[in-house]
Amino acid sequence: MTGPDRPVTEEELHAYVDEQLDPGRGQAVERYLRDHSEAAQTVAAWAAQRRQIRASLAHWSKEPLPPKLDLIRLVESRLLRRRTRWPIAASIVLALALGGSAGWFFAAGQPVNRTQHAMSVLGQQAIATFMVYANDPHHPIEVSASEREHLVQWLSNRLKRPVVLPDLTAAGYHLLGGRLLATERGSAAALLMYENATGDRLGIVVRPMAPELKAPQTDVSERAVNGCIWIEKGLGFGVVAEAPDEAIDRISDLVRAQAKEAA
Amino acid sequence: MPGVLTRVEACIPALRRYAVALLRNPQDADDLVHDCLVRALGRLHTIRDETDVRPWLFAIMHNLFISQLRQAKLRGNTAPLSEQTEAASSLSPGQEAHLQWGDLMRGLYTLPEEQRTVLLLVAVEDLSYADVAKVLDVPIGTVMSRLSRARERLRRIMEGEAQPPLRRVK
Repeated sequence: MTGPDRPVTEEELHAYVDEQLDPGRGQAVERYLRDHSEAAQTVAAWAAQRRQIRASLAHWSKEPLPPKLDLIRLVESRLLRRRTRWPIAASIVLALALGGSAGWFFAAGQPVNRTQHAMSVLGQQAIATFMVYANDPHHPIEVSASEREHLVQWLSNRLKRPVVLPDLTAAGYHLLGGRLLATERGSAAALLMYENATGDRLGIVVRPMAPELKAPQTDVSERAVNGCIWIEKGLGFGVVAEAPDEAIDRISDLVRAQAKEAA
Repeated sequence: MPGVLTRVEACIPALRRYAVALLRNPQDADDLVHDCLVRALGRLHTIRDETDVRPWLFAIMHNLFISQLRQAKLRGNTAPLSEQTEAASSLSPGQEAHLQWGDLMRGLYTLPEEQRTVLLLVAVEDLSYADVAKVLDVPIGTVMSRLSRARERLRRIMEGEAQPPLRRVK
């Protein structure tokens, strides 16, 4: 029997107590309880248990959260966690080792695979984004670095990844803020804009890619704009500026090391 | 639908309540929730727009809790965490008061772990039976039978048919 008159099951008595009963069965269960006083007592006892346990624990979901459970702080601290010189040194060695083979990505005549295509899209977006926004005197960013927590939360929400804001003070750049970018697939990417003491700007483009993608650092350039792009754990990075290659390389190493620590 | 980080953030108070209920010690509970959040942040990219993050987070925390229990057993330490740390605990008086639980709560801790977790997830955390099955990675029929046994045992305890062991009473 599946109609409204089918017999009431024990599962349904639990569901009645837990407010998970199928809509339309409420009347049948209530009628059953009116006719069966023992079952009604049992259900009343279960409901009383439920109320008491909830009341005993209620306090713990109302107490203010301790700082160690502040989610935005956790996202940020994934970046700051125990930083040593070694990962940076190691990544420089790795970059040097890979440098020689990086050019093949854009070599003519090669069949285009997914990674090549992803790198090409990433490179174009990084350069184009920088050209448009770095030269905007009024609104290079949407959210300023002074609202750091909001920026992290907003971008992480939209990119569905913990977005870290790399610290580039070692290279003389400070964070201005960030903005959301659209990709051709209708997903979200981000631009983080930095500036140095002389007002030169540098952009970091962060773009979620397919999770299995990975590609070593590759140089890109267009007119005066130079950049480095790479994909690590399905996250594409582009570091772009009107700056010499060596400066970009050094900053890319900083970004990569910090992103790696945060992952 | 709000962004994934916002949705995760909204679940933290409930995760904390569940962790306190499991461990009966706020410091251990905060450690567990902390580890759960760190792990969740590392897997945020597996979450789709329409995913309900609540059962997902509870599942991560449940798995961490189970591996903690297993490690404690390996160390030959089978007493509940709360008893190990009770002497050294530095609870505020307010927190202390909120762990002064009545007979029913003491009865809850005489139930087998697997029954207690089902009852807590259903009755306190308002997870659907199907979600509890996912969190614990057991069939839904197992969830229902554990729930039924938990409630019946508690009812008998409260009616005085079976006295809970008194050694844990403060």
